[in-house]
Amino acid sequence: MSIAQVISVINQMEADAVVARYAIGGAVGATFYLEPVATLDLDIFVAFPRRPGHAVVSPRPIFDYLTTRGGVVEGEYVVLAGWPVQFLPATSPLVEEALTEAVTVDVEGTPARVLTSEHLAAIALQTGRAKDHARLLQFIEAAALDAERFQALVRRHGLLDRWQTFDRRFLQGSS
Amino acid sequence: MTFDLQRILESKRALRRSLAQRPVAEKLALLDVLRERTRAIRAAARRAETMARESSSKDRAQLRNF
Repeated sequence: MSIAQVISVINQMEADAVVARYAIGGAVGATFYLEPVATLDLDIFVAFPRRPGHAVVSPRPIFDYLTTRGGVVEGEYVVLAGWPVQFLPATSPLVEEALTEAVTVDVEGTPARVLTSEHLAAIALQTGRAKDHARLLQFIEAAALDAERFQALVRRHGLLDRWQTFDRRFLQGSS
Repeated sequence: MTFDLQRILESKRALRRSLAQRPVAEKLALLDVLRERTRAIRAAARRAETMARESSSKDRAQLRNF
């Protein structure tokens, strides 16, 4: 029962063209850059192959594929090797870009595609829950962001107001 | 061992840095362990909540019959 097994299954799913591209996000994605933080699920961002006549994106092909390989559907999740996995379609320009620019990391011989730290941080800023703010602070404290790249992302995706609010609330007067 | 808060905080930061610098495979394996622990803690908290609810309703019933 390990997350490495889940990554192998998802690599195979991409190789079998069920999804066009995947990348790990959320707390597990952040763990590639930061210290591990307890999480109960795994967020996988996906782009689907373009199919003429199919305007609506459905997770059905993913669910069908994985249930024939031992996955169990539980609500919005597919449980794989004991991990609830949530598949999130790229529905915003920020996530589309994040998926395109995701990087491949070697995990003891298994390739794992993961969002860049700057995209993970920008998505956390955009999502804006308390735990997302905490993650963004972790990235900043760990100096795990390329400041120029992150600032460009914030500007490009209209997150400047959110950043200024975050900065006032959590960063000003903290150094 | 010390009770100097500044040193405690610095040692926490150092631990986080050293965890962050471990190989990815090792960190992912730690996630598996952390997840199991979180599940166990949540299950224990739920059991404690249920027991507290049951005991409080038993107390109420006893008081009604008093």
